[in-house]
Amino acid sequence: MSRGSGGGYDRHITIFSPEGRLYQVEYAFKAVKAAGITSIGVRGADSVCVVTQKKVPDKLLDQTSITHLFPITKYLGLLATGMTADARTLVQQARNEAAEFRFRYGYEMPVDALARWIADKSQVYTQHAYMRPLGVVAMILGIDEEKGPQLFKCDPAGHFFGHKATSAGGKEQEAINFLEKKMKNDPAFSYEETVQTAISALQSVLQEDFKASEIEVGVVRKEDPVFKVLSTEEIDEHLTAISERD
Amino acid sequence: MGDSQYSFSLTTFSPSGKLVQIEHALTAVGSGQTSLGIKAANGVVIATEKKLPSILVDETSVQKIQVLTPNIGVVYSGMGPDSRVLVRKSRKHAEQYYRLYKEPIPVTQLVRETATVMQEFTQSGGVRPFGVSLLVAGYDDKGPQLYQVDPSGSYFSWKASAMGKNVSNAKTFLEKRYTEDMELDDAVHTAILTLKEGFEGQISGKNIEIGVIGNDKIFRVLTSSEIEDYLQEVE
Repeated sequence: MSRGSGGGYDRHITIFSPEGRLYQVEYAFKAVKAAGITSIGVRGADSVCVVTQKKVPDKLLDQTSITHLFPITKYLGLLATGMTADARTLVQQARNEAAEFRFRYGYEMPVDALARWIADKSQVYTQHAYMRPLGVVAMILGIDEEKGPQLFKCDPAGHFFGHKATSAGGKEQEAINFLEKKMKNDPAFSYEETVQTAISALQSVLQEDFKASEIEVGVVRKEDPVFKVLSTEEIDEHLTAISERD
Repeated sequence: MGDSQYSFSLTTFSPSGKLVQIEHALTAVGSGQTSLGIKAANGVVIATEKKLPSILVDETSVQKIQVLTPNIGVVYSGMGPDSRVLVRKSRKHAEQYYRLYKEPIPVTQLVRETATVMQEFTQSGGVRPFGVSLLVAGYDDKGPQLYQVDPSGSYFSWKASAMGKNVSNAKTFLEKRYTEDMELDDAVHTAILTLKEGFEGQISGKNIEIGVIGNDKIFRVLTSSEIEDYLQEVE
């Protein structure tokens, strides 16, 4: 006679449930949604753009200190959706790892190598009881020397995939449905189209028009492979272009 | 392995003598995507479904079939992240063997080491078993070999095997179609037909993966256009 719920611990630490699931990992995914932010990433022909909401819960807060967009190296960016504190430790470790890679091997850490490293670390937390999974979905962007613009997404379960476009957070599924329609025929977006697709996807899914101060936008471009966070003026230009187009 | 707080095994015996965590791990494998392997007279083929969560995923960034050594490849069913850990440990072990003996590691020994790792995770403190079953395909001095390793750490050599969602239909199909003197090409066709049996949707070179090793003893993953050619032959 097998016991029902594995002694009741299968919900507390990452051991298997009778259905072969890891509840702690599933709860980590829920924590990402609970943060109430949605993020979008789009890969164009020669650029990658990520967009996320910038919610400042209190007017007394210094908005410049609130960010989910982190440079990992000069050429790699990371957009963290979910629990901010978990995101910060992840970013700190990722920065360290990327710097060590550059020192050890003499060339910049490629996007997929960083994504794989983050995913492997997340997998360890799903298998060892002493650490819980991080409540963060990380989108990594950069220009790969051989493969061109790359966008990877890593989740608490340790999965990582390259994406043509993707989303994370509260309205993830709606955003993915929107993006699937847009990217169905493998369009080769220019830089402006890439940024505008990302921003308009977010606007459509959240059903509101944003001001430049309410979103964060990060880009990498083949012609300038440095990871850049757009300023409010640059965001404004794109927002205006979108509203004029519609 | 594990923190001192968790110096006790999480996988313990139930009153009926079962290790339920391993059973649950096997359930996780059983809900994974179907994969299979066939040992032919002159080689081995392994194959798997490659269903991605969305069309937005770049399928060129995903490769489920992995090379462990130039003459050994592996495919999994179950939790992808767990398989990456095993692939890394196996590769390292193979490399250490080569460094010590200046000879490529025999398939049986690599399988045994991988299985040992999986068994350790069913008994060590503070860890859970791996949620994957592996099919290891290799060709060494003893000829073509196919092994299946389960989350418990037990492994067997198979003439043909399947794992994952459609395992019972796939195995029945393989039992009917398997012959001892099959050639590698026939085995690839049979593998494709077996995958087709339980496939939801339209099978193509982009949503399955096939790895082969022949008399040349070089394991390689077929490109999607090579798979398309085989698919046309099978139509």
